[in-house]
Amino acid sequence: MSATRPGDGAFAIDARGLGVRYNLRLTRRTTVRHSFAHLLRPMDGATHFWALRNATFRVEHGESLAVIGPNGAGKSTLLQVLAGIITPSEGSVEMRGKVSSLLTLGAGFDPDLTGIDNILLAGEFMGLDHREMRRRLPEMIAFADIGKFIDAPLKTYSSGMRARLGFSIATSVDPDVLLVDEVLATGDQLFREKSRKRIEELIAAAKGIVLVTHDMNWVTTFCNRAILLEKGEVVAEGDPADVVALHQAHSEQARQEKEAEAARLQLSGVL
Amino acid sequence: MTTVTPEIRAVYGAARPGPMSLVAEGLRDIWSRRRLARYLVQADLKKKGTDTLLGNIWWVLDPLLQMLVYVVLVTLIAGRAEPDFPLFVFAAILPWKWFSAALNDAIMSVVSRERIIKQVHFPKIILPVASTLSGIVNFAFGLLPLAALIVLFYRDRLTIMLLLIPVIAIAQLAFTLGLAILFAAINVFYRDVGNLARHLLRLWFYLSPGLYSIDRIQHILDAQPVVALAFALNPFTILFEAYRAVIYEGTLPAFDSLAILTVASLALLGACTYLFKRLEPAFAKVL
Repeated sequence: MSATRPGDGAFAIDARGLGVRYNLRLTRRTTVRHSFAHLLRPMDGATHFWALRNATFRVEHGESLAVIGPNGAGKSTLLQVLAGIITPSEGSVEMRGKVSSLLTLGAGFDPDLTGIDNILLAGEFMGLDHREMRRRLPEMIAFADIGKFIDAPLKTYSSGMRARLGFSIATSVDPDVLLVDEVLATGDQLFREKSRKRIEELIAAAKGIVLVTHDMNWVTTFCNRAILLEKGEVVAEGDPADVVALHQAHSEQARQEKEAEAARLQLSGVL
Repeated sequence: MTTVTPEIRAVYGAARPGPMSLVAEGLRDIWSRRRLARYLVQADLKKKGTDTLLGNIWWVLDPLLQMLVYVVLVTLIAGRAEPDFPLFVFAAILPWKWFSAALNDAIMSVVSRERIIKQVHFPKIILPVASTLSGIVNFAFGLLPLAALIVLFYRDRLTIMLLLIPVIAIAQLAFTLGLAILFAAINVFYRDVGNLARHLLRLWFYLSPGLYSIDRIQHILDAQPVVALAFALNPFTILFEAYRAVIYEGTLPAFDSLAILTVASLALLGACTYLFKRLEPAFAKVL
């Protein structure tokens, strides 16, 4: 049984014309002085920037969608919108079911708290049921494989241990819609194997997946559809192999242009 | 079977909700995530205790030492102290420490959680609320040295009125929460607030009758109606007078002013919650 609207297939994500606009005046480290300066010179440069525009796509049940593109194309912004972290400036998105995001690991970690405290706190931030959290605690600790350090403050952890703990918390969920952002390459070889397997399990269990990655192997192995984002716009959508090929052609082209540009600059003696 | 939880609907709802529904949503956020607030408070308390030799004894020691500083300052240097000055000033230090620590923490509460705000969707309003609540725990611990002070040195001032401290604390909580929520949100956009707040808070303390009684400055108030009005509108005039009534004088506090303060604070809390909820969607973008 599924809660479909008449005429709709069973979907996990339905995004229509998503756009995210950043107000450049309100970005980082604003001070009152800057605001006054802007009041005096209101037409000073561009005031807005679209990190994402006109993104329309749909993830059907059982589908996993790869989002690829160069740095700064809006991939992470898209994922943030889907996770509910950013409200879209235009367009709308409908998510069906429990959404969970595996964004960058260890986001909420507090260096002064122990591993256990950090797990419980992260669970509360993610809105997970605390009884469930406590029940899974041993399993998560075992997965992270940090031994007796679990009772030590996080600042005593190595970066590998921190990453393993982060991964173990982030994947302790069983969502209907899974959003994954570049969490795959963490830790040593052994843990990478283990985490890959865990992600495969999650992907197999979820009804819909959106995967943002630079690892084209993941795209072709795990996704049955892909979209290519460039400068905030969807430039291609379709079979993963085709989209990856297009992306690689575009990056190659961009690289050559950059090289040519660098060569020109070098010739004119700027470098 | 698939479901859309109300939470998700709230996040993706296209229409902008009205003020009342935003305030209601803010209060629901706080209530539904009360466990997160509790964990944040616990984490805060654990952290404050771990790095020092004396650990949690500092909660008791800190207000006592601050009392000592003011006693030295006022009795020796200014030379015009109220009778039983240590108790007199302790009754003001205790609530003020809660207020100033809560505000200073709350101002940084959202910006210092930048990373998780960009990664996880959760109601940000919990952060300043937790800052305010962890101040209560400190306040409660400060009651221990207060009780010791009274029992050991000022037994004649020990009255049943002490039991009214929680009533006054409720009025203070309402007032503190509103300001904490307001400044936590503003500091996301203007980091100046944090720098300014420390100084303004100190000034505010000296301009409130904490170190001196209102009688002592009565002649100024009589001569300057504007100053008198400012004093009358200062919530900490009401709060300090009330704490002092039950702790130092052993009389009933002025319930009418406390009631007015509480009602006004609840209105402020509503307005600040509304403002916070309006600004909240921009946090992840601006941070």
